[in-house]
Amino acid sequence: MTGATRVVTVDRNLKAGVGPILLGMAITFSNMVKTLFGRRYSTIQFPEQKRATSNRYRGIHVLTQRMDGTPKCVACYMCATVCPAECIYIEAGERPERDIEKYPTRFEIDLLRCVYCGFCVDACPEEAIIMSRENDLVGTTRAELIIDRDRLMDRGKLMEYGAGYRPDEHDVRRPVRVAALERLKREHGIVPAMPRRSE
Amino acid sequence: MPKIKIDGREIEVAAGTTVIQAASQLGIEIPHFCYHPDLPVDGNCRMCLVEIEKMPKLQIACNTAVADGMVVQTQSVKAATAHRTTLEFLLVNHPIDCPVCDQAGECYLQDQYMEHALHDSKIEPEEKVQKRKVVDLGPIMLDAERCVLCSRCLRFEATVTGTNSFEFRNRGDHTQIATFEDRPITHNYAGNLADVCPVGALLSHDFRFKMRVWFLKGTESVCPGCSTGCNIFVDHRDDEVHRLRPRRNVDVNRSWMCDIGRVEYKEIALETRLGSARIRKGSNGGTTWAPSTLDAALDAVHEKLQQAGSATAFVASPQATNEDLYAFRLLADKVGGMLDFRVGNPQERTQVREDNVLLRADRNPNTTGALDLGMGRNGIDTILAACRSGQVQALILQGPELLRMAGAAEALAAVPFIAVMASHDGPGLEHANVLLPAAAWAEVDGTFTNYQRRVQRIRRAVASPGQALPRWELAAALLRRLDAPLAATSARELFADIARVVPAYAGLDVRAVGDEGRVIPPDGPAPQEARA
Repeated sequence: MTGATRVVTVDRNLKAGVGPILLGMAITFSNMVKTLFGRRYSTIQFPEQKRATSNRYRGIHVLTQRMDGTPKCVACYMCATVCPAECIYIEAGERPERDIEKYPTRFEIDLLRCVYCGFCVDACPEEAIIMSRENDLVGTTRAELIIDRDRLMDRGKLMEYGAGYRPDEHDVRRPVRVAALERLKREHGIVPAMPRRSE
Repeated sequence: MPKIKIDGREIEVAAGTTVIQAASQLGIEIPHFCYHPDLPVDGNCRMCLVEIEKMPKLQIACNTAVADGMVVQTQSVKAATAHRTTLEFLLVNHPIDCPVCDQAGECYLQDQYMEHALHDSKIEPEEKVQKRKVVDLGPIMLDAERCVLCSRCLRFEATVTGTNSFEFRNRGDHTQIATFEDRPITHNYAGNLADVCPVGALLSHDFRFKMRVWFLKGTESVCPGCSTGCNIFVDHRDDEVHRLRPRRNVDVNRSWMCDIGRVEYKEIALETRLGSARIRKGSNGGTTWAPSTLDAALDAVHEKLQQAGSATAFVASPQATNEDLYAFRLLADKVGGMLDFRVGNPQERTQVREDNVLLRADRNPNTTGALDLGMGRNGIDTILAACRSGQVQALILQGPELLRMAGAAEALAAVPFIAVMASHDGPGLEHANVLLPAAAWAEVDGTFTNYQRRVQRIRRAVASPGQALPRWELAAALLRRLDAPLAATSARELFADIARVVPAYAGLDVRAVGDEGRVIPPDGPAPQEARA
């Protein structure tokens, strides 16, 4: 974890023999000496100790909630549409409060299929799905690792890892809009003359 | 005939054609909301403005008739600016609820915005005029906020159904559509309102929140609901049909279909679908079903056919495709015995209209086809009389119609062996000794012949459950056991056989039938032409 990454150059033309073996032993031995006497560890005490992750780390998903504890998700299926692993299953239903109309009655992510690309987070128009930094996924059956809406929302304990990848305003607006404007210019030669809000 | 030039391309069209129609003939799509090819022109949305040389102002393409020598620009800077500004006005009060709106994905407003506008709104969401949302009008859900006031629904109600349910209410920014006292839509064509609505203001209650439209694949087919044979798309995903929607065919159903037809898809995935064959336990008169493999069931039918020989009667079904009927006829011819299909005299009602729009009294899609293929041979009454007198030793049914016919029970009880091809469990099947699982209409390729004697194609959209097979394949399996195997291995090849054997269908092939069908002249065979 400490220090810059060392680049090891391997000479592929090295002839087989005792030379390379002795070289390898020397590296192992020097690491042993460093660990025993220099207290410079190459390993960590997992799971008590965990490696630090970036705050954009893409771990297990979280469904965010409104103030009243209902899911922010409106079941628009954007995440399921963009998902390259097709691991998101949604069923939509009528929300009792009619000002929002639609919400997911079922929302399941098959974590065994998920490739943790984070596209679902990018696609979501509501910031309803974000990722945590939780990365140690354990279960005794496959069914256990298909996590449903309630487990995705109730992530209190799991959030000890901290929030991971989530969009900020910059990310939400830019890529789609830039792509659309570029297409308009390329295909029609039109640059919309609409005044833009100061950004 | 006036010759005009649109975006540099010349076309000659009939006098009276409008610019938008001429452009669509060239494959040029002029953006529009209120124009609909099957509704009267209104010209209120102002979206289809085009630049016409020598005219001082932009003109609406939907209501400008072509004139000789006209030069039209649909994408000039002036026209494009007009499209963009018109859209900006249309979107002033439009809510930002695309994520919850079922129209998203097939919404004109979304498409046109992505294509022509892409502006940032100058209106804050809080400044937008709030209108009524989630108004339940029976088969239709109304969301007045999403409406662009194109009046398509008003014109549909005025000209197609004549019911005039909708009205514009209030003025200016506050204009919205509504029905009087929020009364529900009660006519049989409500589903079309959701189809004509270019935005998400009118949506189908049945399809609400079921599926996002971009997941669906539309297979071109024909509605099996009545003898009109409306052209439809079967929208499906992962072998599940989610909705039916009309496919435009000016000569059959224009852009419409009725609500009775629209729910035909629900039957396909019912719990009562038969996925495996069944044989009645014990000797004749046994009371319980034993599941069986399809092969064992077919063997049982084969054995009885051999025993009964010409003491067999065959009853075809006008629900079956021409290919099914033809294979069934070959089976009847091979075995010998009586053949008919006219349970309840459907041919008398084929031409009878149930209403003034589309629905017909004959609820079979292929009565005309069955008549053309000569399935009406001995008469149902003769067959039933023969059953009663014990002359019929085996009865082979292509559908359950005869089993449900009033007054047939006594005759059926006199027949020692009845085999039926059925797609669903249901009343009447207790008379049968063997059930052969049949594929439903959305699971087969084939053709129907509608009341106009128009041969139209249906296509396989989803897979059949279990061992269910198209009816022609069930007949083919029996023919194989009778050492008279069919040469055809697909519905397409069977149709070619029909074209060879049945004079009325001479010269037709699947390609000649095409997407819009082919009408057979009422007298004499069709012209000997097939598209190369």
